[in-house]
Amino acid sequence: MLNVQFKKGVLELCVLVLLDRQDRYGYELVQKISDQIAISEGTVYPLLRRLTKEGYFTTYLKESSEGPSRKYYALTDEGRQYLHELLREWDEFTNGVNELIKEGVSDE
Amino acid sequence: MNKGQFIEKLNDALKRLPSSEREDIINDFEEHFEIGLSEGKTEQEIAASLGSPQQIAKEMIVTYRLEQVEETASTGNIFRAVWAVIGLGFFNLVIVLGPFIALLGILFSGWVIGVTFLLNPVLYLLNVVIYPEVFELYGLFFTIALCGLGIFVIIGMYYVTRWLFKGFIRYLNFNVRMVKGGMKDA
Repeated sequence: MLNVQFKKGVLELCVLVLLDRQDRYGYELVQKISDQIAISEGTVYPLLRRLTKEGYFTTYLKESSEGPSRKYYALTDEGRQYLHELLREWDEFTNGVNELIKEGVSDE
Repeated sequence: MNKGQFIEKLNDALKRLPSSEREDIINDFEEHFEIGLSEGKTEQEIAASLGSPQQIAKEMIVTYRLEQVEETASTGNIFRAVWAVIGLGFFNLVIVLGPFIALLGILFSGWVIGVTFLLNPVLYLLNVVIYPEVFELYGLFFTIALCGLGIFVIIGMYYVTRWLFKGFIRYLNFNVRMVKGGMKDA
């Protein structure tokens, strides 16, 4: 597993990516992420709250066919801009690491 | 842990937050439990995958404190924010408390220098009163110059303090964003 100090930033990227195409509710976001990465699910909520307060998301309540209404998160323009910034950094970073791995493997 | 216990622990750990904030947070978790239950999970399963309510509460409190600091950067708010970030874990204790103490040290010495320079004429006069025979004109000029310098140092320190605190709050934000948390082995 990656260094823990690095993962928190990645979690932020995951949430932003999931909201790029469609609005989602908290539970859905948590499940989508935990299907792929081992996380303590509860820590997604503080993240959602922080990003909402920073103006990257807005929230609204929507009735659901089964049971009570759910809180949906929607990406704002500011949030989308931030997502693209993070994606660019992520690409640069992973490209760099992949390049180094390739060189390392071919040396052997 | 079942739903009731989880919510109770969370609520307990959040009691320092204003009640509107706290209710909002609790609602999110009630919703999480309800959807999980409707998908056929048990309360225990849901609580276990959510993780520690205390840790969740700590993160929530940090977010709130940092928001407060950005609204009004008062000394009390800064201390509360630093305290909340340190509470996140041992690693933060090292990388937050160390620089914070250094920062306070720098600011403290700067202010002490400024104030001493400013009050130098008082000391000078006291000296003249106690030992009238050592009065020298150059000493008087020197002390007036120091006093003037003191005024500049204090004005400078005012801006330096504001600037350093602002920088430190950004550092705290960066910390909360990048360091630790979220992952199972974190």
